[in-house]
Amino acid sequence: MLMCHVKGCATDNFPLRIEDAELEQVEVEFNEDFMRRMINKIEWGAFVQTAFALGVDQLPATVPENIDTEFLQRIHRVAMETKLKEGKMICNGCKHVYPVTDGIPNMLLQETEV
Amino acid sequence: MKSAADAKKLLNRSILIKEVIELRFHWRKYHTPYLKTSFKFNVTAFGSSLTIPQQVERIERFSFLPYDGDIDLKNPDVVFSLYEDYNDFPNQGLPVPDAPIRLFWGPFVAESSRALIQQYDLKKRGYLGTTSMDAELSLIMSNVALARPGSLVLDPFVGTGSFLVTSSHFGAYTIGSDIDGRQIRGKGNGKSIESNAKQYSLEDRILGTVVCDIAHHPWRDCELWDAIVCDPPYGVRAGAKKIAVNPKAPPKTSIYNRDGGYKLPQCVPYELDDVMADLISFAAKFLVPGGRLVYWLPTLTDSYSPKDVPRHKRLRLLDNCEQSFNKWARRMIIMEKLKADEPDLDLDALLIEIEKGMQTKVALDEKDMKVQGDGLVTLIDNPAHAGFRKGYFKE
Ligand SMILES: C[S@@+](CC[C@H](N)C(=O)[O-])C[C@H]1O[C@@H](n2cnc3c(N)ncnc32)[C@H](O)[C@@H]1O
Ligand SMILES: [Zn+2]
Repeated sequence: MLMCHVKGCATDNFPLRIEDAELEQVEVEFNEDFMRRMINKIEWGAFVQTAFALGVDQLPATVPENIDTEFLQRIHRVAMETKLKEGKMICNGCKHVYPVTDGIPNMLLQETEV
Repeated sequence: MKSAADAKKLLNRSILIKEVIELRFHWRKYHTPYLKTSFKFNVTAFGSSLTIPQQVERIERFSFLPYDGDIDLKNPDVVFSLYEDYNDFPNQGLPVPDAPIRLFWGPFVAESSRALIQQYDLKKRGYLGTTSMDAELSLIMSNVALARPGSLVLDPFVGTGSFLVTSSHFGAYTIGSDIDGRQIRGKGNGKSIESNAKQYSLEDRILGTVVCDIAHHPWRDCELWDAIVCDPPYGVRAGAKKIAVNPKAPPKTSIYNRDGGYKLPQCVPYELDDVMADLISFAAKFLVPGGRLVYWLPTLTDSYSPKDVPRHKRLRLLDNCEQSFNKWARRMIIMEKLKADEPDLDLDALLIEIEKGMQTKVALDEKDMKVQGDGLVTLIDNPAHAGFRKGYFKE
């Protein structure tokens, strides 16, 4: 859901590419209705690409026709329970590096970038 | 309320009500179900207090009731609540009256969630900051924001995360962001937003935090949030700031620290009217249709006018509720984003004034307001809170 917001950076600014990732599996309450709503909001291609690059899950290239609970639980595991603990999120457009430490992404820009 | 079940359901989400009792007016009726049941009495006074002997004396006045059941203080079949209302005369500078002005008596039906105020009391919270929000107000705000299971709530000025805790208590997934990462992480002594989440066993709903400036934020365009709940920086204790080249600071030779990390960006003061305008525009864009924005607007009592409250064509003002500190006040503002198929609010609807739930009059004048491209409507002349910091320190 995060994208590069450096001023003037408008192409290739989403999704951010993740490097040096250290992932953590956390437990998050499952809510089927919420997941169903989220699937429509997620940029599916970007989501699949990121999950694959991180080696978390190999998801279908398009959202399946019939979404059952099991599929929603799978998405829940990837989207809600896989946390980027340490690493870098890099903009493919302008190469800005957003560091993640202790699971907290630092999305601050430099004063010259706003 | 139609039934005891309704009362219980409602009170489960109520912070300000104490309890519901059934009022029994017909003396013949109040006997019947309780002739053989075990019972106890609770005596409460509003606006005064009663000693134990006084309470006992009150209870004994009811000895004429033909109740043969046992008195059971631990597990009674029924609890009778007696309320004595002494009004709040002391707050009006008057003495407490000798006798209550009203009495209520009846069998207890349901208790509210007031106990949550104790459960989330700041005194018992591990990680706190100078501007952590009081538990009662946080609970009320999360409540009116309709935080509930399956909803996603954002606090873009998260600080120590008071609203994450209370919104997640009501079942919501929560995310917070703040320009100051030290607020989120704490001082490295193991106390942080994360440790608060653990303390209340809410880690499975408090999803995480992000360091970012609301004026230059990274959220992808999308109606994502079911609610936004926050206490924007007023600049009384710590001034609001936003990222920008600071003409007073020397330009950096490098943006990196020696350890390879980024230096903090330069910042400039972030005027309160800009903070509020950015917040409202953000909410109008990123809330889901029907989603709510609940925030505090600080005001100076002398110069406040209802015109100061920023409006938006896509946000309906639901309430404006003042908490007064005499010379200044803050107002809890509740707004709801229109449904996708609702037309933009017209000027009549936009300029309506609401005070503590009462829609009083159309107080504003179109000529005073400027409408911005995205639908934000603000006062042409600076609203009074624009000078809040200056005005506050002048006192
Ligand atoms: C009144 S405090 C909020 C306190 C919070 N409700 C709590 O319970 O701890 C305001 C917060 O806004 C943050 N802030 C100031 N300017 C900001 C900006 N431009 N963007 C995001 N956060 C900002 C401050 O760092 C501060 O933590
Ligand atoms: Zn970029």
